[in-house]
Amino acid sequence: MDRREFLTSTGLCGLGLAFGGPLTALAAHAAPTPSGARAWEHLYRREFATTRGDSQGFAFHCSNCQGNCAWRVFAKNGRVIREEQVAAYPPVNPRIPDANPRGCNKGIVHSKEMYQGDRLLNPLRRKGRRGAGAWERISWDEALRAIAQGTVEAMTRHGLGALMVYCGTGILSQGRRAGPLRLGSLLGAQRLYPASAVGDMFTGASLAYGLATVGHSLDAWFECDAILLWGINPLVTRMPDAHYLTEARYNGARIHAISPDYTPSAKAASQWLPVKPGTDAHLAMSLLHVLLRDGHVDEAFVREQTDLPFLVRLDTGDLLRHRDLRQGGKDDLYYAWDEASGKAAPMPGTPGHFKKTLRLGEIRPALGGRFEVKGANGKPIPVAPVLELVRAEAAKFPPEATAKVTGVHPAQLERMATDFAKARKAIINIGFSLHKYVSGTMTTWAAALACALTGHAGERGGLDTENNWSLDGIGPLSSPKPARFASGFLSEWLNGDMAMTMRRHYPEAPLKAAAGYDGTDIERHVRERLERGGSYYGKPRALVLFADNMFRRNKAEVQYREAVLKDLDLFVVVNHRMDSTALWADIVLPATSHYEAWDIRGELGYHRFCNVTVPPPGLARVGEARSEWEIGLGLAQAIAAEAARRNIEAIPDPDFLAQEGDKAAPVMRDFKRLVADYTMDGKLATDADVVAWLMTNVPQIAPWTPEDARKRGFVVLSPDAGFTSPLYANRPYNSFERNVYLRQPYKTMSGRQQFFIDHPVFKKQGWSVPTATNPLRPSTYPFAFYTPHTRWGVHSQWRANAQLLRLQRGEPYVWLNPATAKAKAVAEGDRLRVFNDTGEFRARAKLMPAVPPGAVVTDHAWEPFMFEGRTGKNAVVAGLMSLIELVDGWGHLTFDPNWDGNMLAHESSVDFEKVPS
Amino acid sequence: MTRQLAMVIDLNKCIGCQTCTLACKSQWSDRDGRQFMYWNHVETTPGQGYPRGWREAGGGWDGDRLKPGRLPRLREDYGFPADFNYDEALFREGDAPLRPTQPMLWGPNWDEDQGSGEFPNGFFFYLPRLCNHCSRPACQAACPRQAIYKRAEDGIVLIDPERCRGYRYCVAACPYKKIYFNPLAERSEKCIFCYPRLEKGIPQACAFQCVGRARHVAWRDDREGAVWKLVEEWKVALPLGPEHGTQPNVFYVPPLSPPPLDAEGRPTDAPRLPEDVLVGLFGPTVKAALARLEAEIARRQAGQPSAMIDLLIAFRHGEMFRLDRPQPKAKGQGEKS
Repeated sequence: MDRREFLTSTGLCGLGLAFGGPLTALAAHAAPTPSGARAWEHLYRREFATTRGDSQGFAFHCSNCQGNCAWRVFAKNGRVIREEQVAAYPPVNPRIPDANPRGCNKGIVHSKEMYQGDRLLNPLRRKGRRGAGAWERISWDEALRAIAQGTVEAMTRHGLGALMVYCGTGILSQGRRAGPLRLGSLLGAQRLYPASAVGDMFTGASLAYGLATVGHSLDAWFECDAILLWGINPLVTRMPDAHYLTEARYNGARIHAISPDYTPSAKAASQWLPVKPGTDAHLAMSLLHVLLRDGHVDEAFVREQTDLPFLVRLDTGDLLRHRDLRQGGKDDLYYAWDEASGKAAPMPGTPGHFKKTLRLGEIRPALGGRFEVKGANGKPIPVAPVLELVRAEAAKFPPEATAKVTGVHPAQLERMATDFAKARKAIINIGFSLHKYVSGTMTTWAAALACALTGHAGERGGLDTENNWSLDGIGPLSSPKPARFASGFLSEWLNGDMAMTMRRHYPEAPLKAAAGYDGTDIERHVRERLERGGSYYGKPRALVLFADNMFRRNKAEVQYREAVLKDLDLFVVVNHRMDSTALWADIVLPATSHYEAWDIRGELGYHRFCNVTVPPPGLARVGEARSEWEIGLGLAQAIAAEAARRNIEAIPDPDFLAQEGDKAAPVMRDFKRLVADYTMDGKLATDADVVAWLMTNVPQIAPWTPEDARKRGFVVLSPDAGFTSPLYANRPYNSFERNVYLRQPYKTMSGRQQFFIDHPVFKKQGWSVPTATNPLRPSTYPFAFYTPHTRWGVHSQWRANAQLLRLQRGEPYVWLNPATAKAKAVAEGDRLRVFNDTGEFRARAKLMPAVPPGAVVTDHAWEPFMFEGRTGKNAVVAGLMSLIELVDGWGHLTFDPNWDGNMLAHESSVDFEKVPS
Repeated sequence: MTRQLAMVIDLNKCIGCQTCTLACKSQWSDRDGRQFMYWNHVETTPGQGYPRGWREAGGGWDGDRLKPGRLPRLREDYGFPADFNYDEALFREGDAPLRPTQPMLWGPNWDEDQGSGEFPNGFFFYLPRLCNHCSRPACQAACPRQAIYKRAEDGIVLIDPERCRGYRYCVAACPYKKIYFNPLAERSEKCIFCYPRLEKGIPQACAFQCVGRARHVAWRDDREGAVWKLVEEWKVALPLGPEHGTQPNVFYVPPLSPPPLDAEGRPTDAPRLPEDVLVGLFGPTVKAALARLEAEIARRQAGQPSAMIDLLIAFRHGEMFRLDRPQPKAKGQGEKS
């Protein structure tokens, strides 16, 4: 029975009589003796049996929460009716709580979500202008033919890069995601780097380690004595793992939560440090100040594992290199001052050194002092170890002074620093919100340095952005040919013409004063980067988008959408539901959702389990939905046919060379073989084939087989899955054990954890060692605007779910501090207009004592279609990028999955006013 | 003699995610006139709660007499189970936003994360609530039809739908307002402690599916079970609203909180959650319970063992549920699930 029936069968007048009002029992009756007539109890037993269905499968929800939880799915008469966590993950060892029952409030409503009114049932083609909302139903054949025409047209008329086939973060599994990736790779289409397109790059970690995602399996929390939650709210955003935090606290861990508002995780912490929005880097520098002041330095660790003993030329501000000491010397050999020999010594483990180990041998690198070395031209060069410069920088940030900036009392900082330094094992968790402030990079780099100073690495913990496993063997499936892999943040900024809102929202002089650079500098660096090439492939003319809510997630929402649509000749959206992006498409294709196709996910490192979706036998797909793999196949067939019709056999791709022996020739985008290539000559016809292929070809899944997955819904990854450490079967996973214990060099330019960068931009801006950068939000508008992750969706997924909206207020609201609201005569539930020079949106007010005065906050990723005029909260976020993150082509700061940037989502300011309800 | 199955909910492990709420909903209350009901829900405290104002709605015992009670209103106090205009908003011309087809006035989580106090010393915590399967149920006493009974084998309080005539005296009498009138069936319904699951050895949906691992289930007389140990032995789990006299069988481990900050921003020694708020909910023994919790955590911080903390940590999810009935003389029988 749905709600309509509920209404009609009860009648509104009846409800008025049935509810409300006083009612007092006249007497307390004697307790009845059950008459024995309990046969009715079978009613609920029968209901229970019904909810177990007539067939069962397994699933996970492969979205961008990365939680990856195994669920049992119950179906009846071909329809999913309920899901329940499998709750059968084996324990790691007896002293670590097990991982059960992983799975949250979003996963548990998917059986409703998949049949909800926003579900796409058939291929649709727009009638009238884009976004008008009028649709006609078309057949799959018609749709695929039209798409093929548009894509082949774009590729032949404008070049291969004019086609973008992009799979967003709505699907992050290895199975379903493989279809769009493989098709795009064969065609030479461009695709964005999703992590930077959504603003999830941890560039502070990249600076230090050459790796953006580092960390632990989250059961490692349980082993900690101290945990710093920095800009992360795991009780809301890491629900399946949050128990390791609450259990760690019981177990004696001191938890310090750093966030501008009093989050549910702050509530569960030992202390909450209410940092003012965007000032985190000051707090981080102050943490370094206290650690250095109090001598919390693990000297053996620092000497061997970091570049802190490396010598810096005090005359030029560059690291001392071999070429400085000898004509024609090496560029990648670095030095420390050897206290044993009293002279500069080349450091083993740096790329130019013949010893590929971090072991220092007889060298005893100095950690302080100033020295002189003889330059190649015979002149003396003044040098000092990096740590000397770090000390000088940290000295500028005593807790009392930074308190004025951060709002955090020195007593809180001192307590945190002491707990952290004294902990045997400590973890600093960096949340995804931190790098949405410009200061995120420096905060994280400084946090990495705090871990380095105190020797928190390997079994002793360390920095945690997000752990990922290393799964081999996927390449031949998802990337059979080279694709145009584009920088996410840079492409979105350029495609969305975001310079416009940047220029308008950030007046040059104040921006320069706060950041050290202005809009003109940003644009100059963008131009230089485009001239160098390699990370941007131009605005797409044909866009085939899988599971990406592009018009929801991008900043300067309205301007972005207009700029992108303006140049698109073909816009196709593939999704299981109508989202705020599909509303603007030319053609919409209905995809299967999380329970209807085989899938597998194992790369996400919060835990060691690789989950498999096994649809319940007999499950009917919803409407005419097809799996992403089948859609890719259909597109390959249609594109091949369209090319044949135009007598095009293949297009040579001049941007990529295929090497054969000593000959190189352009990669051929071969339409005649497109279908055979897509299916590996017929081997991979279905999503089930793809999962079986992965289970057979990814060595980290061995010895498990598809049969095991069919029985249990998950398998356990092997020790080889660890990226910087082994994934031991009986211990939580820690990062960098291969570096710390086996002394293998790090993936940085220096070969060590790196805290000195002598890139010209870093030198010019004073960023060569970690330092504090300031919030950039303009004073034009009085309120900081930031948008933390929500409890009620994974970004926009499940955000429009009726079950979940009933547990909220049914429509978007913004959080206001009660005093802030009162000053504007705003009361609970009032309708507000939130605005600035970038745009505006409307939402209700919710008064929250947890929110700081001077801020307008809304939990992020409401769908724009939930707002009046279908304009969402990103309408007030200007398109700003960070200059640090635009640096490219230098050592480990070269565009790849470990080095790209973010749109700065939390650096805009707004005003608001009450509007009539 | 009635044996009693009981539950302990650890408020330090509840993350407010409502997975329990939704587990219960899809197990029992998404159909047949129950759509507006939440047999289990989580509310933010302090707040008006769910149904709105339930703490001021009367019910319970005054000695041997039932106290008067008030029936909550459907729209204003429970909230109507909203449907949404998906078709109009997403598949029709125009730019109508997605909205409930009827305005929402209240809901089970309306005052989520609001709490009370002033920044930076705001405070709140999550309070999951379900039928307490009381040992002295006011609902049972209030029913003129004798439709409500307590099962001898497990103490679960049930409403016999064949005897119930929908008079709703039970709704008014329950001080927790955890009985709901089904306007479609014209009878009252409530949490059944998932007896059909329990009878098959599967713990309650709310407990088994709690991703925060906050819920323990055991027999009250099982001395090896979490209920006996936390309630009777260590006295850190307390009933909600003991003053109502119904003798609940759901118990709560009270919430800790980080220190508040003084005017300069320095952490103080006072509790962030005011004592009177907690005493108002759990009675005066909550102070000793909190002190005990803090002392045992301090032991762990000092590297000393604590059996109580080990139990609250709950190393094995499956062991949080001891559903097998221990024999009175043989302790610690094996557990199911």
